[in-house]
Amino acid sequence: MKRATQATETPQVGRSVPRLESWLKVTGKAEYVHNLRLPGMLYGKIFRSNIAHGRIKRIDVSAAQALAGVYRVVTGQDIRKIVPEPYYGPAFHDQPILALDKVRYVGEPVAVVLASDPHVAEEAVHLISAEYEELPAVYDEVEAMTSKAIVHDALKPAGTFPDLKYLKGKTNTNIALDFRLRRGDAGKALKGAERVFEHRFRTQQVMHTPLEPLVSVAESTERSLTIHTASQSPSFVRIEIARLLGWPENRIRVRVPFLGGGFGAKLYIKLEALVAVLSLLTKKPVKVSLTMEEQFFTITKHASTFRIRSGVTKGGRLVARDCEVWWNGGAYADIGPRVTQKSGFTAPGPYDVQDVSIDSYALYTNLPPAGALRGFGIPQLVWAYESHTDMIAREMGIDPIEFRRKNLLREGRPQATGTLMKDAALEKVLERLSVLMSWEKPIERGSGSIRRGRGIAIGFKACIANTTSLAAVNINADGSVTVYTSCVDMGQGSDTAMAQIAAEVLQVAAESVTVVHSDTDVTPFDMATLGSRSLFHSGNAVKLAAEDALQKIVQLKKELSLPADAAIADVFRKKYGMRAGSVTGTGSFIPPYTPPDENGQTDNATPFWMVGASGVEVEVDTETGRVKVTRLVNVADVGTPINPRVVETQLSGGAIMQLGFSLFEKMLFDEGGQLRNASLAEYKIPGFLDVPENIINEAVVAEQRNGPFGGKGVGETATFGVSPAIANAIHDAVGVRLTELPMTPEAVFMALQKK
Amino acid sequence: MRPFELLEPRTLREAIAALDSESARPMSGGTAVMLMMKAGVLRPSRLVSLRRLGLEGIQIKENSLSVGAMTTLRALEKSEVVRKGWPVIARTLRTLSNVRVRNVATLGGHLAHGDPHMDLPPLLSALGATVTIAGAAGERTSPVEALYRGYLDTTLKSGELITRVEVPALGRKRAAYLKCTTRSADDWPALGVAVVLDGDKPTIVVSAATDKPTRLASVEAAEGLQIESDLHGSAAYKKQLLRVYLKRAIDEARNASH
Repeated sequence: MKRATQATETPQVGRSVPRLESWLKVTGKAEYVHNLRLPGMLYGKIFRSNIAHGRIKRIDVSAAQALAGVYRVVTGQDIRKIVPEPYYGPAFHDQPILALDKVRYVGEPVAVVLASDPHVAEEAVHLISAEYEELPAVYDEVEAMTSKAIVHDALKPAGTFPDLKYLKGKTNTNIALDFRLRRGDAGKALKGAERVFEHRFRTQQVMHTPLEPLVSVAESTERSLTIHTASQSPSFVRIEIARLLGWPENRIRVRVPFLGGGFGAKLYIKLEALVAVLSLLTKKPVKVSLTMEEQFFTITKHASTFRIRSGVTKGGRLVARDCEVWWNGGAYADIGPRVTQKSGFTAPGPYDVQDVSIDSYALYTNLPPAGALRGFGIPQLVWAYESHTDMIAREMGIDPIEFRRKNLLREGRPQATGTLMKDAALEKVLERLSVLMSWEKPIERGSGSIRRGRGIAIGFKACIANTTSLAAVNINADGSVTVYTSCVDMGQGSDTAMAQIAAEVLQVAAESVTVVHSDTDVTPFDMATLGSRSLFHSGNAVKLAAEDALQKIVQLKKELSLPADAAIADVFRKKYGMRAGSVTGTGSFIPPYTPPDENGQTDNATPFWMVGASGVEVEVDTETGRVKVTRLVNVADVGTPINPRVVETQLSGGAIMQLGFSLFEKMLFDEGGQLRNASLAEYKIPGFLDVPENIINEAVVAEQRNGPFGGKGVGETATFGVSPAIANAIHDAVGVRLTELPMTPEAVFMALQKK
Repeated sequence: MRPFELLEPRTLREAIAALDSESARPMSGGTAVMLMMKAGVLRPSRLVSLRRLGLEGIQIKENSLSVGAMTTLRALEKSEVVRKGWPVIARTLRTLSNVRVRNVATLGGHLAHGDPHMDLPPLLSALGATVTIAGAAGERTSPVEALYRGYLDTTLKSGELITRVEVPALGRKRAAYLKCTTRSADDWPALGVAVVLDGDKPTIVVSAATDKPTRLASVEAAEGLQIESDLHGSAAYKKQLLRVYLKRAIDEARNASH
């Protein structure tokens, strides 16, 4: 058997290396924060608002405080003793650690009970009461534009993003951000167009539902704080906690072991500021672990409304697109303004349109906050523009694939921002989808109450900019390799990918590489594990670090007059006279970027484009409206797959998740903003029986030239096209058009009745 | 969750005695009771586990199927006896909740819970099954159909336990159970329809859309059934599902080998 650290001829990249952590996971040995217990630890349970909008008049915690076993009850005013201005958030400093003065949605944290027995803490929560002066509330994103109910008295953009500064102190508005893009003159072009189509689409609020709910533990001394947390963004947590406390970053340590799923739910700060302050207040370790149900009141995916208008020539060429998108951000901005803008600029779709206008609005409402969810707003946009595009094609009697083929953005052509398309295999993906769907051949249309149809959709995404990743790679005295990165493995397989990249550079087996998990005392800065950025950004940083380490070894060999093929262990032995020493390579990666001008124009909007298309075949039961997806084909441009098996599972995972958002997942609120289905008994996610029998996932042959070994992100790509492909297939099968998600059997049946 | 004591009596008599308190609840598989306690809907001070009472087992008694109340749904599903003599029960169990639940949930607990979204109450009602009930006053029997008074409301008195379930032989009858979920495939059903055909004469029991398993005197009676809107769908839509699934269940029963 080859020794694990022995140099290898086998390519490490492009090989389906089994996931490094799989054995730990299936034997129950992988570390999760949920299993962490520290001596003397207190458990915190949260008391939440039961009204959607109101001023806090009184919080009575006396009965809870009196319950045997309760250590302490903490409210927003207590938080102020540690943090005078306890507002946090990545884009806006608008979210209090516990409610102060006002509550802004049902489920907002108002107080916390601490006890060494979590059941006692939970029991005491029921003994807290609060009185509010109720205020008018607003729930709908379009109404929020003009509503008299104002969620925040003044806008408080964070200093982090210079482009949001102009919003500071704005009052009497629910518009957190109004992103605007103008290219050419869409209004004029629409007037002159031979055909004009206008439609309106909606998406619903849904939840990430990671199987491991949010959990954080903090322990502190007088001058240090350690946070163990299920977070996708340890570096951001450290910066934000340091800002809140007014501490230097080196006194705050953020550790992240494995995550049981993230999908965008565990980004920025969620429970970390709360446990940090609770630990500093009590001088004890404090743990807050949410229940599955509480996640509904923590972070969600934006509901949205999208009005889209297109001008088309008689021949089917798109000449103008006018897009207006309203994003329902809930009560706190979280990363919503970034979704509004960074995804907003792709609202016209992957088409070559001369005259474009986009207005994209981030709205505050009195609902649970919305942030990033596997696609960062892109699935909402693709839902609208690919339904709309299909409607135009079918209305004009042009084959839907042919229509898209005619209008697709070609390599080197300017996208709506003016940025020229590069390494975006749009045509290849569309053509491959067409082949895999056997589009040229007619399908069997069904009989009786079962009718069959098919549909496709294609979408794209610009990876978020401007972001940076750092990494370090150690070559130890025996030649073994350790990678240090703050990229978080939340189930997507990043440990394995990072090991493969380092192993490829250093010519060792990927299986032999150790990847150290995020620990801000140890691993270098990384912006966050989000938006499919990590394989590209962290991957490039790891590659640079490995190359740097290799360069240092080469240099050592020269200094020591060793031959180029000398074993690494011999290099160290000769240098130190014994088995000792190590070499550390570092890598810092930040791709070039040009911020957009006031019209949203830039010559460099993104470091890379992701392209994803889906095709489905469906059976619609005309008597019940039930839709069965019998075939699902996902085709993507992921550059060169670093680990083909992981690419495949990321594609199928993303598509199946989106299938739930397409067909049945929905957070249902009553007229008072109360969530009616805040449990997994009433909020259903897809199970095995919902997975289509026939799924194909394929990455086209492509290369991302600035990516590590030609690779780029894949985590979100298969979410893009699923929803509109299903809507298009339903229309193909039974001639009804759904413009709102989810496409429940009842919605399909009622549409059939109207027809 | 408030603190509670957990008892594991070894005899039925001890179990019944331990239940002689307002805030004591029996626990069989615990799949429903634990969720209700976590949600704060149920706050018992004592749980009386029935797992050590020896109430498991599947037998044939005088052509009837006789099942101990603590038999898991999974054991019932896998039973050769059930598959041969009452295939409709085995078919129904395959899509009842999920295998993790079926591994621990018991037949007695399933019938005693009283949630109208469960699959076996309508089917066993239509099959004419009966239960043996033990209580402080002794034993009594009841048709499954008579167990249900309303939503989560049964005719079991406090301190009474289902110990055994008897399902008469199908003989020449043909049976089918169809359910319809409107969200994920493993969701609670929006509608359940059980049909047992004796020759051409159907016995129809509807559930899920109604607040308890409800017998329909005829196919036509479906139109008059009281159905409320809920998270699974509007009343009008569920009425349509009933029309469609009733017809389909009758067709399936006609074509069933049993």
